[in-house]
Amino acid sequence: MASGTGVVHPVTRWLLRRAAQAGVTLVVVTVLLFFLMRLAPGDPLGQLGDERQYTQAQLAVLRHLYHTDQPLLRQLASWAMALLHGDLGSSFSEHRPVTALIAERLPATLQLGGTVLLVNFTLGLWLGAVQAVRRGGWIDRWLTTLSLAGFAMPSFWLGLMLAWLVGVKWRLLPPGGIANPLLGPDTPWWILATDRLAHLILPAATLVIVSIAITMRYQRRAMLEVLPLPYIVAARAKGLPESVVRRHHAWRNALFPVLTLVGLWLPILVTGSVFVEAVFAWPGLGSLAAEAIGRRDYPLLMGTGMLVSAMVIGGGLLTDVAYALLDPRVRWA
Amino acid sequence: MPSLKSGLAVARLAAALVALARAGPLAGQSHDRDALVIVTGQQATMPIPTFMEGPANLTANADVADQLFLRLAEPPPDAMTTDERRFVPVLAKSWTRRDSLTLAFDLDPRARWHDGHPVTARDVVFTFERARNSEIAPKLAGLLRHVAAVTAEGDRRVVFRFDRVYAEQFYDATFNVSPIPSHLVPAGATVANPPKDFVANPVGDGPYRWVRSVPGQFIELAANPDFLLGAPRIKRLFFRTAAETDARINLLLSGEADAIDNISTPVANVERVAAIPDLRIVPLASPLLGYLLFNQRDRTDRSKPHPILSDPNVRRAIALAIDRYPIVRSVFGQYGEVPYGPASQALWIRHGAPKAAGADTAQARRLLVKSGWFDRDGDGIVERDGRPLELTLSFPLTSEVRKQIASQVQEQLRRIGIRIDLARLEGQVWIDRRTRGDFDIDFSSATQDPTPSGLTQSWSCHGGSNVAGYCDPVVDSLLDRAIAMRSGSGPLWQEILRRIEASQPAVFVYAPSFVYAVNRRFTKVVLRPESSWLLVREWSTR
Repeated sequence: MASGTGVVHPVTRWLLRRAAQAGVTLVVVTVLLFFLMRLAPGDPLGQLGDERQYTQAQLAVLRHLYHTDQPLLRQLASWAMALLHGDLGSSFSEHRPVTALIAERLPATLQLGGTVLLVNFTLGLWLGAVQAVRRGGWIDRWLTTLSLAGFAMPSFWLGLMLAWLVGVKWRLLPPGGIANPLLGPDTPWWILATDRLAHLILPAATLVIVSIAITMRYQRRAMLEVLPLPYIVAARAKGLPESVVRRHHAWRNALFPVLTLVGLWLPILVTGSVFVEAVFAWPGLGSLAAEAIGRRDYPLLMGTGMLVSAMVIGGGLLTDVAYALLDPRVRWA
Repeated sequence: MPSLKSGLAVARLAAALVALARAGPLAGQSHDRDALVIVTGQQATMPIPTFMEGPANLTANADVADQLFLRLAEPPPDAMTTDERRFVPVLAKSWTRRDSLTLAFDLDPRARWHDGHPVTARDVVFTFERARNSEIAPKLAGLLRHVAAVTAEGDRRVVFRFDRVYAEQFYDATFNVSPIPSHLVPAGATVANPPKDFVANPVGDGPYRWVRSVPGQFIELAANPDFLLGAPRIKRLFFRTAAETDARINLLLSGEADAIDNISTPVANVERVAAIPDLRIVPLASPLLGYLLFNQRDRTDRSKPHPILSDPNVRRAIALAIDRYPIVRSVFGQYGEVPYGPASQALWIRHGAPKAAGADTAQARRLLVKSGWFDRDGDGIVERDGRPLELTLSFPLTSEVRKQIASQVQEQLRRIGIRIDLARLEGQVWIDRRTRGDFDIDFSSATQDPTPSGLTQSWSCHGGSNVAGYCDPVVDSLLDRAIAMRSGSGPLWQEILRRIEASQPAVFVYAPSFVYAVNRRFTKVVLRPESSWLLVREWSTR
């Protein structure tokens, strides 16, 4: 914000500078991605496995149709010009605009990632605080053991086990997909919602189990740092009940450093769930990006790559801002 | 800070959610006995004939296209491609051969597009004009290169003229492309620039019509009540997508899907499915062929012969040292065969071919010695002119089958003194090196055409897929003769297989069955090698 004298407030200046840095980083990463992708071996228009492979003449026709026969700089210029108009091009493998594909898959990713983030932080913050309060006790030891065991488990393996046990053996929940295809658009909303929820539980649980240890450890440590501080001692000395001291004085203050984790988690929403999406046939952005890499689908790779880059850079920016806003000791540099 | 009580409340809420999830959709609303849910590895994105080129050249597209669009005729149950009298009429109710170069088809007058327009000869001519245009459909144009002209005689008759006499004229006219509606598709549209409305809602003339596609999830089709061969009994047909094998199998085992596309190896996956009483295993001859392809040209300078593998004795020794039968049994169980020559189970020419030979390591060692390869330094690896016999075996890292077999091959060849380095490559890197001829031994896995004429691609001197530089003019000559024969070409095809086996351009390792599974509530279940789900239109339910 500008002050009345025309001098830009240091906070605003700092924010603008960080945003500009993030923008430049994004442009550099995008250009690098463009060239690296095309330098990688493989042809998006060829094919694997068929006895009758395309001849060079047939491939030349396809390359002409898809404009991959043009010089690289010209391809980059065309792509950048289209991007200025909000057009990320058309996917080679899906034959539809990349923006539409991302828009279709984004809700599934946000649904899974958002749920995981929500459960991870609510449950993780609470359990971490419980551990700190009961430091050294059997609850602390068990929670540490269990959460680290979850953290050590490969998400792919855990997902397979949960899908088999809960989905196949016990038939409690669907082992894959995001919705039952037999439920048409005319199905009552509450059935659709319940169905969605049923499909969400296993992939979300898998991701929460493998990731909650981080939040719990952060929160436990933050609480342990806060609990011996003089203002907590003072609160107790005033005669406040222990539950009030812990909840209103200790827990709230211990939250700040942990909340900055949210920014770091943002890109994991997309990239971190690729294996889990595969195991549970979850139609999110992670699986879309993985398919794009396998098929060398340049436009789709650029679209998903840019999105992930933006989330990584945005997440870093958000973390910096959160630190600065929450911790007055951080100086605007 | 939340208390333990609130934690217990959260746990109770979670349990309630699970109970609600079970009580709701899973308890009845979601089941439809007249629906068939097939779970597959890929989702169709362009299931429209003449558009399935390049990145759209996928089995998933072909499977859905076969439900939406009708061929003029379909191959007989044994997939014989050379006898036009045995083809099954579909869109064409009859046909006549006017001379050795001309075929006339009469369309079924009951045929209608799903929008109510009649299917006319103009649609067929329009489709073949697109298919024969190499600027629109390069692959199809190659397949139809001997079709000289397709013309309409009135509304119902289509005449095909060929530029040469050969046995598979009828197959070429009927199998490779199904007609599409000329009133809905712009003539010049290509896979790179498709008609958006038509791709979003394809209009066909087949047993099923398009309902919707939910990207990344499924495609829904509905029975066409006006289908000319009678409305299908399965009213709703879903192709549900799960890229990961375990996810597909879990969907099937949990009852979320009724049928599964080929259950991938290991064979334990098939055993898991077979253990479920509600499911029936349906093995099917597959067009898949796995082989170790010997590069006969130098991998860095294609003008020179390969320093090791251009020697037929070494190639033969490798072939004799590999005991293919136990390998195939260990990977595919009862659902695989050792092929004789480049003939998959789906290729009719394999009938009558001899049994593939077993291993003979003593003879393999003798052949190596004959070519000057001895273990002079006692390290277990044979050498010649101071150079050890070392070769690289390349294959894609996504293929578990090839990984398993490659390890066994490596061990078996070590026993006769050949060191094999395994190069497990990312899919596109593997195909790039293979196409450039940058390999010693390539572990290829090819999906063969239903027609044996497809063998010219890999096993003739100038075949488009002949990346190994294999060239035997006698085989070329035999191929030309077999393709041109109007009838009785079987013995000639078997002679070709024998000749290829003898010159050992590859070790033909496996020809597996595809193993499908279908819920037992479906009856009259017939699957076809060339198009698995083609005959769902004839299935029924108990």
